[in-house]
Amino acid sequence: MPETIDDATLVERFPWAQIDHDSKRHFRGWLEEKLLINRCDDCGQMHHPPKPVCPKCWSQSLRPTEVSGRGTIFMAMLLRQGPPAEGVDYAMGPHPVVTVDLEEQEGVRFTSTVIDCPLEEIVPGLEVETVWIQRSGSPFPVFRKREGRS
Amino acid sequence: MRNPMKDQVAIVGVGTTGFARDMGERSSKALACEASIAAIRDAGLAGKDIDGLVGPIEPMGASTHMMAAALELQNVRHHSSPMPVAMFGLIDAVNAVFAGSCDTALVYYSYQRLPWNSRSAAKDPFRRFSMGPIPMPESPNPSTAYTTWASRYMHEYGTTREDFGRVALNMRANALRNPIAVMQKPLTMEDYLQARMIRDPLCMLDMDVPVDGADAFVVTTLEKAREMTDHPVVVHATAVGLADNDEDQVRSLRRHGQHIVVNALRRKSDVWIDDVDVFFPYDGFSVITLSWIENFGFAKEGQGGRFLQEHWDDTRGAAMIHGRVPLNPHGGSLSEGATRGSGHVREAVLQLRGDAGPERQVEGAKTALIGCGGFFFNAQGAILRRL
Repeated sequence: MPETIDDATLVERFPWAQIDHDSKRHFRGWLEEKLLINRCDDCGQMHHPPKPVCPKCWSQSLRPTEVSGRGTIFMAMLLRQGPPAEGVDYAMGPHPVVTVDLEEQEGVRFTSTVIDCPLEEIVPGLEVETVWIQRSGSPFPVFRKREGRS
Repeated sequence: MRNPMKDQVAIVGVGTTGFARDMGERSSKALACEASIAAIRDAGLAGKDIDGLVGPIEPMGASTHMMAAALELQNVRHHSSPMPVAMFGLIDAVNAVFAGSCDTALVYYSYQRLPWNSRSAAKDPFRRFSMGPIPMPESPNPSTAYTTWASRYMHEYGTTREDFGRVALNMRANALRNPIAVMQKPLTMEDYLQARMIRDPLCMLDMDVPVDGADAFVVTTLEKAREMTDHPVVVHATAVGLADNDEDQVRSLRRHGQHIVVNALRRKSDVWIDDVDVFFPYDGFSVITLSWIENFGFAKEGQGGRFLQEHWDDTRGAAMIHGRVPLNPHGGSLSEGATRGSGHVREAVLQLRGDAGPERQVEGAKTALIGCGGFFFNAQGAILRRL
Protein backbone atom coordinates (compact mmCIF):
# COMPACT_ATOMS: atom_id res chain seq x y z
CA MET A 1 0.00 0.00 0.00
CA PRO A 2 1.31 3.45 -0.85
CA GLU A 3 0.96 4.74 2.75
CA THR A 4 3.28 2.12 4.01
CA ILE A 5 6.10 2.34 1.47
CA ASP A 6 9.29 3.46 3.13
CA ASP A 7 11.03 6.76 2.50
CA ALA A 8 13.71 5.19 0.30
CA THR A 9 11.09 3.71 -2.01
CA LEU A 10 9.24 7.02 -2.09
CA VAL A 11 12.42 8.75 -3.26
CA GLU A 12 12.84 6.09 -5.97
CA ARG A 13 9.28 6.63 -7.18
CA PHE A 14 9.90 10.37 -7.69
CA PRO A 15 13.56 10.60 -8.69
CA TRP A 16 13.14 14.14 -10.05
CA ALA A 17 11.63 15.59 -6.83
CA GLN A 18 13.50 16.98 -3.83
CA ILE A 19 11.26 15.29 -1.29
CA ASP A 20 11.87 16.04 2.39
CA HIS A 21 10.15 15.37 5.71
CA ASP A 22 7.86 18.34 5.04
CA SER A 23 6.61 17.04 1.69
CA LYS A 24 6.80 13.24 1.97
CA ARG A 25 3.13 12.77 2.91
CA HIS A 26 2.07 14.82 -0.11
CA PHE A 27 4.07 12.62 -2.48
CA ARG A 28 2.66 9.50 -0.83
CA GLY A 29 -0.72 11.01 -1.66
CA TRP A 30 0.27 11.24 -5.32
CA LEU A 31 0.82 7.49 -5.38
CA GLU A 32 -2.89 7.16 -4.48
CA GLU A 33 -3.78 9.89 -6.96
CA LYS A 34 -4.73 12.27 -4.17
CA LEU A 35 -3.77 15.93 -4.32
CA LEU A 36 -2.90 16.95 -0.74
CA ILE A 37 -2.47 20.55 0.35
CA ASN A 38 -1.34 21.58 3.84
CA ARG A 39 -4.06 23.02 6.05
CA CYS A 40 -3.33 24.50 9.48
CA ASP A 41 -5.26 22.80 12.30
CA ASP A 42 -5.10 25.95 14.39
CA CYS A 43 -6.10 28.74 12.00
CA GLY A 44 -7.46 26.86 8.99
CA GLN A 45 -5.14 28.56 6.51
CA MET A 46 -3.91 26.47 3.57
CA HIS A 47 -0.50 26.84 1.99
CA HIS A 48 1.54 25.28 -0.79
CA PRO A 49 4.24 24.06 -1.32
CA PRO A 50 4.42 22.21 2.02
CA LYS A 51 6.18 24.14 4.76
CA PRO A 52 7.16 23.03 8.29
CA VAL A 53 5.05 25.74 9.95
CA CYS A 54 1.88 27.60 9.05
CA PRO A 55 3.11 30.84 7.47
CA LYS A 56 0.15 32.73 8.90
CA CYS A 57 0.17 31.71 12.58
CA TRP A 58 3.47 29.72 12.90
CA SER A 59 1.67 26.65 14.22
CA GLN A 60 3.29 23.28 13.57
CA SER A 61 -0.08 21.48 13.50
CA LEU A 62 -0.39 21.00 9.78
CA ARG A 63 -2.58 18.47 8.04
CA PRO A 64 -2.06 17.42 4.42
CA THR A 65 -5.66 17.68 3.22
CA GLU A 66 -7.12 16.27 0.03
CA VAL A 67 -8.49 18.99 -2.24
CA SER A 68 -10.98 18.73 -5.08
CA GLY A 69 -8.36 19.45 -7.71
CA ARG A 70 -10.66 22.02 -9.27
CA GLY A 71 -9.60 25.57 -9.91
CA THR A 72 -9.05 28.42 -12.33
CA ILE A 73 -5.97 29.13 -14.42
CA PHE A 74 -4.24 32.10 -12.82
CA MET A 75 -1.39 32.32 -15.31
CA ALA A 76 -0.09 30.26 -18.20
CA MET A 77 2.87 29.86 -20.53
CA LEU A 78 3.98 27.68 -23.41
CA LEU A 79 7.31 25.88 -23.28
CA ARG A 80 8.76 25.63 -26.78
CA GLN A 81 11.92 24.05 -25.44
CA GLY A 82 12.79 22.80 -21.98
CA PRO A 83 13.97 19.90 -19.84
CA PRO A 84 13.29 16.41 -21.13
CA ALA A 85 10.38 14.55 -19.55
CA GLU A 86 8.49 11.40 -20.36
CA GLY A 87 5.61 12.13 -22.69
CA VAL A 88 6.85 15.63 -23.53
CA ASP A 89 8.07 16.22 -27.08
CA TYR A 90 8.76 19.86 -27.84
CA ALA A 91 9.18 19.02 -31.54
CA MET A 92 5.52 18.02 -31.64
CA GLY A 93 4.40 21.44 -30.35
CA PRO A 94 4.63 23.71 -27.32
CA HIS A 95 4.11 22.24 -23.86
CA PRO A 96 1.76 24.33 -21.69
CA VAL A 97 2.57 25.11 -18.06
CA VAL A 98 -0.17 26.63 -15.94
CA THR A 99 -0.56 27.88 -12.40
CA VAL A 100 -4.02 27.18 -11.08
CA ASP A 101 -5.82 28.94 -8.23
CA LEU A 102 -7.34 26.07 -6.26
CA GLU A 103 -11.00 26.52 -5.41
CA GLU A 104 -10.49 25.76 -1.71
CA GLN A 105 -8.64 29.01 -0.98
CA GLU A 106 -7.83 32.02 -3.11
CA GLY A 107 -4.13 32.44 -3.66
CA VAL A 108 -3.21 28.81 -3.01
CA ARG A 109 -1.94 27.64 -6.37
CA PHE A 110 -0.67 24.50 -7.98
CA THR A 111 1.48 24.47 -11.10
CA SER A 112 1.39 21.70 -13.70
CA THR A 113 0.44 21.20 -17.35
CA VAL A 114 -2.90 21.02 -19.20
CA ILE A 115 -3.82 18.09 -21.40
CA ASP A 116 -6.44 17.59 -24.10
CA CYS A 117 -7.05 21.29 -24.59
CA PRO A 118 -6.53 23.59 -27.59
CA LEU A 119 -3.55 25.87 -26.82
CA GLU A 120 -5.52 29.07 -27.51
CA GLU A 121 -7.93 28.24 -24.69
CA ILE A 122 -5.15 27.95 -22.10
CA VAL A 123 -5.42 31.45 -20.66
CA PRO A 124 -6.19 32.94 -17.23
CA GLY A 125 -9.76 32.35 -16.20
CA LEU A 126 -10.17 28.88 -17.72
CA GLU A 127 -11.77 26.51 -15.23
CA VAL A 128 -9.88 23.24 -14.89
CA GLU A 129 -9.81 20.04 -12.86
CA THR A 130 -7.08 17.60 -11.91
CA VAL A 131 -6.52 14.33 -13.71
CA TRP A 132 -3.65 11.94 -13.16
CA ILE A 133 -1.20 10.78 -15.80
CA GLN A 134 1.81 8.50 -15.46
CA ARG A 135 5.19 10.21 -15.55
CA SER A 136 8.37 8.13 -15.06
CA GLY A 137 6.28 5.28 -13.64
CA SER A 138 4.41 7.26 -10.98
CA PRO A 139 1.16 9.23 -10.94
CA PHE A 140 1.55 12.90 -11.81
CA PRO A 141 -1.24 15.48 -11.41
CA VAL A 142 -2.15 17.56 -14.46
CA PHE A 143 -5.16 19.65 -15.40
CA ARG A 144 -7.81 19.46 -18.06
CA LYS A 145 -10.60 21.84 -19.01
CA ARG A 146 -13.82 21.32 -17.03
CA GLU A 147 -16.52 20.34 -19.45
CA GLY A 148 -19.23 22.88 -20.01
CA ARG A 149 -17.04 25.65 -18.57
CA SER A 150 -15.11 28.44 -20.20
CA MET B 1 41.45 50.94 11.98
CA ARG B 2 37.92 52.34 11.66
CA ASN B 3 35.06 50.87 13.67
CA PRO B 4 32.07 53.20 13.27
CA MET B 5 29.56 50.45 14.16
CA LYS B 6 31.12 49.90 17.57
CA ASP B 7 28.32 49.27 20.11
CA GLN B 8 25.68 50.47 17.62
CA VAL B 9 23.98 47.15 16.83
CA ALA B 10 22.45 44.79 19.40
CA ILE B 11 21.51 41.12 19.57
CA VAL B 12 18.02 41.16 21.09
CA GLY B 13 16.73 37.65 20.49
CA VAL B 14 18.08 34.11 20.66
CA GLY B 15 16.36 30.84 19.86
CA THR B 16 17.53 27.26 19.61
CA THR B 17 16.13 23.79 19.04
CA GLY B 18 18.86 22.21 21.14
CA PHE B 19 21.07 19.60 19.54
CA ALA B 20 20.98 15.87 19.14
CA ARG B 21 22.56 13.15 17.06
CA ASP B 22 19.10 12.54 15.69
CA MET B 23 16.22 15.00 15.86
CA GLY B 24 13.82 12.54 14.27
CA GLU B 25 12.07 12.98 10.98
CA ARG B 26 12.43 16.74 10.69
CA SER B 27 13.77 18.76 7.81
CA SER B 28 16.53 21.32 8.18
CA LYS B 29 13.92 23.93 7.26
CA ALA B 30 11.67 22.78 10.12
CA LEU B 31 14.53 23.16 12.61
CA ALA B 32 15.38 26.60 11.21
CA CYS B 33 11.74 27.68 11.57
CA GLU B 34 11.53 26.49 15.17
CA ALA B 35 14.71 28.33 16.24
CA SER B 36 13.72 31.45 14.28
CA ILE B 37 10.24 31.67 15.78
CA ALA B 38 11.78 31.22 19.24
CA ALA B 39 14.32 34.01 18.59
CA ILE B 40 11.70 36.43 17.25
CA ARG B 41 9.44 35.74 20.25
CA ASP B 42 12.40 35.97 22.64
CA ALA B 43 12.92 39.51 21.33
CA GLY B 44 9.22 40.26 21.90
CA LEU B 45 8.75 40.81 18.17
CA ALA B 46 6.61 39.36 15.38
CA GLY B 47 7.18 38.50 11.74
CA LYS B 48 6.16 41.96 10.58
CA ASP B 49 9.10 43.45 12.50
CA ILE B 50 11.71 41.45 10.56
CA ASP B 51 13.06 43.28 7.51
CA GLY B 52 16.39 41.51 7.15
CA LEU B 53 17.06 37.80 6.70
CA VAL B 54 20.44 36.09 6.76
CA GLY B 55 20.88 32.33 6.51
CA PRO B 56 24.31 30.82 5.84
CA ILE B 57 24.45 28.17 3.14
CA GLU B 58 24.34 24.67 4.63
CA PRO B 59 23.75 21.34 2.94
CA MET B 60 19.97 20.76 2.88
CA GLY B 61 19.57 24.11 4.62
CA ALA B 62 16.68 26.52 4.23
CA SER B 63 17.24 29.30 1.70
CA THR B 64 16.21 32.83 2.64
CA HIS B 65 13.31 32.71 0.17
CA MET B 66 12.06 29.46 1.72
CA MET B 67 12.24 31.03 5.18
CA ALA B 68 10.48 34.21 4.11
CA ALA B 69 7.71 32.05 2.63
CA ALA B 70 7.48 29.69 5.61
CA LEU B 71 7.32 32.51 8.19
CA GLU B 72 5.38 34.88 5.91
CA LEU B 73 7.92 37.66 6.33
CA GLN B 74 6.40 40.38 4.18
CA ASN B 75 8.87 43.20 4.68
CA VAL B 76 12.30 41.72 3.97
CA ARG B 77 14.49 44.33 2.25
CA HIS B 78 17.89 42.81 2.96
CA HIS B 79 18.76 39.14 2.66
CA SER B 80 21.88 37.12 2.07
CA SER B 81 23.32 33.63 2.26
CA PRO B 82 26.94 33.86 3.41
CA MET B 83 29.40 30.99 3.74
CA PRO B 84 29.06 28.64 6.70
CA VAL B 85 30.62 29.27 10.12
CA ALA B 86 28.59 31.52 12.33
CA MET B 87 30.28 34.88 12.21
CA PHE B 88 29.87 35.48 8.47
CA GLY B 89 26.10 35.56 8.91
CA LEU B 90 26.18 37.62 12.08
CA ILE B 91 28.62 40.15 10.60
CA ASP B 92 26.49 40.54 7.48
CA ALA B 93 23.39 41.16 9.59
CA VAL B 94 25.21 43.64 11.83
CA ASN B 95 26.62 45.52 8.85
CA ALA B 96 23.22 45.59 7.14
CA VAL B 97 21.52 47.00 10.25
CA PHE B 98 24.29 49.55 10.78
CA ALA B 99 24.19 50.66 7.13
CA GLY B 100 20.40 50.97 7.17
CA SER B 101 19.82 48.18 4.65
CA CYS B 102 17.38 46.89 7.24
CA ASP B 103 16.43 47.64 10.84
CA THR B 104 15.86 44.23 12.36
CA ALA B 105 17.44 41.09 10.93
CA LEU B 106 16.78 37.44 11.62
CA VAL B 107 19.94 35.31 11.37
CA TYR B 108 19.34 31.58 11.32
CA TYR B 109 21.66 28.57 11.29
CA SER B 110 20.40 25.07 10.68
CA TYR B 111 22.51 21.93 10.69
CA GLN B 112 21.83 18.39 9.55
CA ARG B 113 24.19 15.45 9.77
CA LEU B 114 25.29 14.43 6.32
CA PRO B 115 24.72 10.85 5.17
CA TRP B 116 28.38 9.97 5.73
CA ASN B 117 28.42 11.50 9.25
CA SER B 118 26.32 8.88 10.92
CA ARG B 119 24.50 5.63 10.32
CA SER B 120 21.08 7.07 11.13
CA ALA B 121 21.64 10.02 8.77
CA ALA B 122 22.58 7.59 6.00
CA LYS B 123 19.24 5.86 6.51
CA ASP B 124 17.33 9.05 5.77
CA PRO B 125 16.97 8.99 1.97
CA PHE B 126 15.90 12.64 1.90
CA ARG B 127 19.48 13.57 2.75
CA ARG B 128 20.81 12.20 -0.52
CA PHE B 129 20.64 15.65 -2.11
CA SER B 130 23.51 16.81 0.07
CA MET B 131 25.86 14.41 -1.64
CA GLY B 132 28.53 16.33 -3.50
CA PRO B 133 31.62 14.73 -4.92
CA ILE B 134 33.44 12.72 -2.28
CA PRO B 135 37.06 13.90 -2.00
CA MET B 136 40.04 11.60 -2.35
CA PRO B 137 41.76 10.59 0.92
CA GLU B 138 44.65 12.87 -0.02
CA SER B 139 42.55 15.94 -0.87
CA PRO B 140 43.74 18.81 1.32
CA ASN B 141 40.18 19.79 2.26
CA PRO B 142 39.78 21.34 5.70
CA SER B 143 39.27 18.03 7.56
CA THR B 144 42.54 16.67 6.28
CA ALA B 145 44.32 20.01 6.52
CA TYR B 146 43.46 20.61 10.18
CA THR B 147 44.87 17.21 10.98
CA THR B 148 48.08 17.69 9.02
CA TRP B 149 48.52 21.13 10.61
CA ALA B 150 47.86 19.51 14.01
CA SER B 151 50.74 17.11 13.35
CA ARG B 152 52.93 20.06 12.33
CA TYR B 153 51.89 21.86 15.53
CA MET B 154 52.97 18.85 17.59
CA HIS B 155 56.24 18.68 15.66
CA GLU B 156 57.13 22.34 16.09
CA TYR B 157 56.14 22.76 19.74
CA GLY B 158 56.47 19.31 21.24
CA THR B 159 52.72 19.25 21.93
CA THR B 160 51.43 16.03 23.48
CA ARG B 161 48.09 14.30 22.99
CA GLU B 162 47.28 15.29 26.59
CA ASP B 163 47.45 18.95 25.48
CA PHE B 164 44.73 18.30 22.92
CA GLY B 165 42.94 16.10 25.44
CA ARG B 166 42.54 19.00 27.87
CA VAL B 167 40.57 20.86 25.19
CA ALA B 168 38.19 17.90 24.92
CA LEU B 169 37.92 17.51 28.71
CA ASN B 170 37.21 21.22 29.18
CA MET B 171 34.34 21.14 26.68
CA ARG B 172 32.85 17.94 28.08
CA ALA B 173 32.89 19.12 31.70
CA ASN B 174 31.16 22.33 30.62
CA ALA B 175 28.61 20.47 28.48
CA LEU B 176 27.51 18.53 31.58
CA ARG B 177 26.11 21.86 32.84
CA ASN B 178 24.25 22.49 29.59
CA PRO B 179 21.04 20.48 29.17
CA ILE B 180 20.86 21.07 25.39
CA ALA B 181 24.37 19.70 24.78
CA VAL B 182 24.52 16.43 22.87
CA MET B 183 27.34 14.91 24.97
CA GLN B 184 26.23 14.29 28.55
CA LYS B 185 28.69 11.63 29.72
CA PRO B 186 31.70 12.63 31.85
CA LEU B 187 35.06 12.26 30.12
CA THR B 188 38.42 11.43 31.68
CA MET B 189 41.91 11.80 30.21
CA GLU B 190 42.11 8.03 30.14
CA ASP B 191 38.90 7.92 28.05
CA TYR B 192 40.37 10.52 25.73
CA LEU B 193 43.64 8.66 25.20
CA GLN B 194 41.77 5.43 24.47
CA ALA B 195 39.26 7.00 22.07
CA ARG B 196 39.11 5.76 18.51
CA MET B 197 41.83 7.22 16.32
CA ILE B 198 40.27 8.67 13.17
CA ARG B 199 42.73 10.99 11.49
CA ASP B 200 45.92 10.21 13.33
CA PRO B 201 47.15 12.17 15.38
CA LEU B 202 43.58 13.34 15.96
CA CYS B 203 41.08 10.99 17.56
CA MET B 204 37.28 11.06 17.56
CA LEU B 205 37.26 13.41 20.57
CA ASP B 206 39.43 16.03 18.82
CA MET B 207 36.69 16.66 16.26
CA ASP B 208 33.26 18.18 16.72
CA VAL B 209 30.14 16.05 17.01
CA PRO B 210 27.81 16.05 13.99
CA VAL B 211 24.30 17.02 15.10
CA ASP B 212 20.89 18.09 13.90
CA GLY B 213 19.62 21.37 15.25
CA ALA B 214 19.28 25.09 14.70
CA ASP B 215 20.11 28.42 16.30
CA ALA B 216 18.69 31.83 15.45
CA PHE B 217 19.31 35.42 16.46
CA VAL B 218 17.56 38.75 16.08
CA VAL B 219 19.80 41.74 15.47
CA THR B 220 18.62 45.35 15.57
CA THR B 221 19.69 48.94 16.09
CA LEU B 222 20.90 50.13 19.48
CA GLU B 223 18.00 52.58 19.50
CA LYS B 224 15.40 49.84 19.18
CA ALA B 225 17.28 47.61 21.63
CA ARG B 226 17.14 50.37 24.23
CA GLU B 227 13.36 50.29 24.00
CA MET B 228 13.45 46.58 24.87
CA THR B 229 16.00 46.47 27.69
CA ASP B 230 18.17 48.66 29.87
CA HIS B 231 21.22 46.51 29.22
CA PRO B 232 21.36 45.49 25.57
CA VAL B 233 24.02 43.09 24.33
CA VAL B 234 25.88 44.98 21.60
CA VAL B 235 28.44 44.06 19.00
CA HIS B 236 31.62 45.91 19.94
CA ALA B 237 33.89 44.72 17.12
CA THR B 238 34.01 42.03 14.46
CA ALA B 239 36.59 40.79 11.98
CA VAL B 240 37.22 37.98 9.56
CA GLY B 241 40.58 36.79 8.28
CA LEU B 242 41.27 35.18 4.95
CA ALA B 243 44.52 33.25 4.67
CA ASP B 244 46.44 34.13 1.53
CA ASN B 245 46.91 30.58 0.33
CA ASP B 246 45.30 27.15 0.05
CA GLU B 247 45.03 24.89 3.08
CA ASP B 248 48.22 22.92 2.60
CA GLN B 249 50.12 25.98 1.36
CA VAL B 250 49.36 28.32 4.30
CA ARG B 251 52.59 30.02 5.28
CA SER B 252 52.98 28.80 8.84
CA LEU B 253 51.27 28.28 12.19
CA ARG B 254 52.23 31.86 12.88
CA ARG B 255 50.66 33.37 9.79
CA HIS B 256 47.12 32.40 8.82
CA GLY B 257 43.54 33.66 9.06
CA GLN B 258 43.46 33.84 12.87
CA HIS B 259 46.29 36.38 12.93
CA ILE B 260 44.39 38.75 10.64
CA VAL B 261 41.32 38.45 12.90
CA VAL B 262 43.25 39.06 16.13
CA ASN B 263 45.10 42.05 14.70
CA ALA B 264 41.88 43.65 13.44
CA LEU B 265 39.85 42.95 16.60
CA ARG B 266 42.55 44.36 18.81
CA ARG B 267 42.80 47.58 16.82
CA LYS B 268 39.02 48.04 16.62
CA SER B 269 38.26 47.38 20.30
CA ASP B 270 38.36 49.46 23.46
CA VAL B 271 38.82 46.30 25.50
CA TRP B 272 41.20 43.36 25.29
CA ILE B 273 41.86 39.98 26.80
CA ASP B 274 42.27 41.18 30.42
CA ASP B 275 38.77 42.64 30.21
CA VAL B 276 37.18 39.44 28.94
CA ASP B 277 34.72 37.69 31.28
CA VAL B 278 33.93 34.72 29.08
CA PHE B 279 36.02 33.34 26.21
CA PHE B 280 34.83 31.36 23.19
CA PRO B 281 37.72 29.78 21.29
CA TYR B 282 36.24 27.72 18.44
CA ASP B 283 36.73 23.98 18.75
CA GLY B 284 35.74 22.29 15.52
CA PHE B 285 39.16 20.66 15.91
CA SER B 286 41.05 20.75 19.22
CA VAL B 287 44.13 22.27 17.54
CA ILE B 288 42.06 25.31 16.54
CA THR B 289 41.23 25.99 20.19
CA LEU B 290 44.87 25.94 21.31
CA SER B 291 45.73 28.25 18.42
CA TRP B 292 43.05 30.79 19.38
CA ILE B 293 44.29 30.76 22.98
CA GLU B 294 47.80 31.51 21.75
CA ASN B 295 46.95 33.93 18.97
CA PHE B 296 44.75 36.10 21.20
CA GLY B 297 47.77 36.35 23.51
CA PHE B 298 46.51 34.37 26.49
CA ALA B 299 49.52 32.06 26.05
CA LYS B 300 52.79 32.10 24.14
CA GLU B 301 52.87 30.27 20.80
CA GLY B 302 52.84 26.54 21.22
CA GLN B 303 51.94 26.88 24.92
CA GLY B 304 48.14 26.65 24.69
CA GLY B 305 48.08 23.17 26.17
CA ARG B 306 50.32 24.14 29.06
CA PHE B 307 48.15 27.24 29.60
CA LEU B 308 45.05 25.08 30.02
CA GLN B 309 46.95 22.88 32.50
CA GLU B 310 48.12 25.89 34.52
CA HIS B 311 44.63 27.36 34.63
CA TRP B 312 42.86 24.07 35.29
CA ASP B 313 40.15 24.12 37.94
CA ASP B 314 40.04 20.60 39.39
CA THR B 315 36.69 21.07 41.09
CA ARG B 316 35.13 22.17 37.86
CA GLY B 317 37.01 19.69 35.71
CA ALA B 318 37.66 22.49 33.23
CA ALA B 319 39.95 25.46 32.72
CA MET B 320 39.17 28.83 34.35
CA ILE B 321 41.56 31.55 33.24
CA HIS B 322 42.91 33.17 36.43
CA GLY B 323 40.18 31.26 38.25
CA ARG B 324 37.60 33.54 36.66
CA VAL B 325 37.10 33.12 32.90
CA PRO B 326 35.65 29.89 31.46
CA LEU B 327 36.29 28.72 27.91
CA ASN B 328 33.14 27.72 26.01
CA PRO B 329 30.98 27.25 29.12
CA HIS B 330 28.23 25.69 26.93
CA GLY B 331 30.52 22.83 25.92
CA GLY B 332 31.60 24.09 22.50
CA SER B 333 31.37 22.24 19.22
CA LEU B 334 33.20 19.26 20.73
CA SER B 335 30.48 18.54 23.29
CA GLU B 336 27.42 20.74 22.76
CA GLY B 337 27.47 19.86 19.07
CA ALA B 338 28.94 21.00 15.78
CA THR B 339 27.17 24.34 15.47
CA ARG B 340 29.95 25.98 13.44
CA GLY B 341 30.06 28.65 16.14
CA SER B 342 26.40 29.59 16.44
CA GLY B 343 26.38 27.84 19.82
CA HIS B 344 29.30 29.99 20.90
CA VAL B 345 27.47 33.15 19.88
CA ARG B 346 24.26 32.00 21.60
CA GLU B 347 26.07 31.25 24.86
CA ALA B 348 27.92 34.58 24.68
CA VAL B 349 24.61 36.44 24.38
CA LEU B 350 22.99 34.42 27.19
CA GLN B 351 26.01 35.01 29.46
CA LEU B 352 25.98 38.77 28.80
CA ARG B 353 22.22 38.92 29.43
CA GLY B 354 22.71 37.02 32.69
CA ASP B 355 20.47 34.26 31.34
CA ALA B 356 22.93 31.33 31.25
CA GLY B 357 21.41 29.72 34.34
CA PRO B 358 22.88 29.08 37.80
CA GLU B 359 25.12 26.23 36.62
CA ARG B 360 26.99 28.19 33.96
CA GLN B 361 26.46 31.90 34.53
CA VAL B 362 29.64 33.97 34.91
CA GLU B 363 28.61 36.51 37.51
CA GLY B 364 28.37 40.01 36.14
CA ALA B 365 29.71 39.07 32.71
CA LYS B 366 30.13 42.21 30.61
CA THR B 367 32.55 41.26 27.85
CA ALA B 368 32.66 38.15 25.68
CA LEU B 369 35.44 37.32 23.22
CA ILE B 370 34.69 34.92 20.37
CA GLY B 371 37.32 33.43 18.09
CA CYS B 372 35.37 31.51 15.51
CA GLY B 373 36.42 29.29 12.62
CA GLY B 374 39.86 28.02 11.89
CA PHE B 375 43.02 28.86 9.98
CA PHE B 376 42.11 29.13 6.33
CA PHE B 377 39.08 30.83 4.84
CA ASN B 378 36.74 31.10 7.81
CA ALA B 379 38.75 32.62 10.67
CA GLN B 380 36.54 35.22 12.32
CA GLY B 381 36.03 36.91 15.64
CA ALA B 382 33.85 39.24 17.64
CA ILE B 383 33.72 41.05 20.93
CA LEU B 384 30.24 41.36 22.40
CA ARG B 385 29.45 43.61 25.36
CA ARG B 386 26.63 44.25 27.76
CA LEU B 387 25.91 47.96 28.04
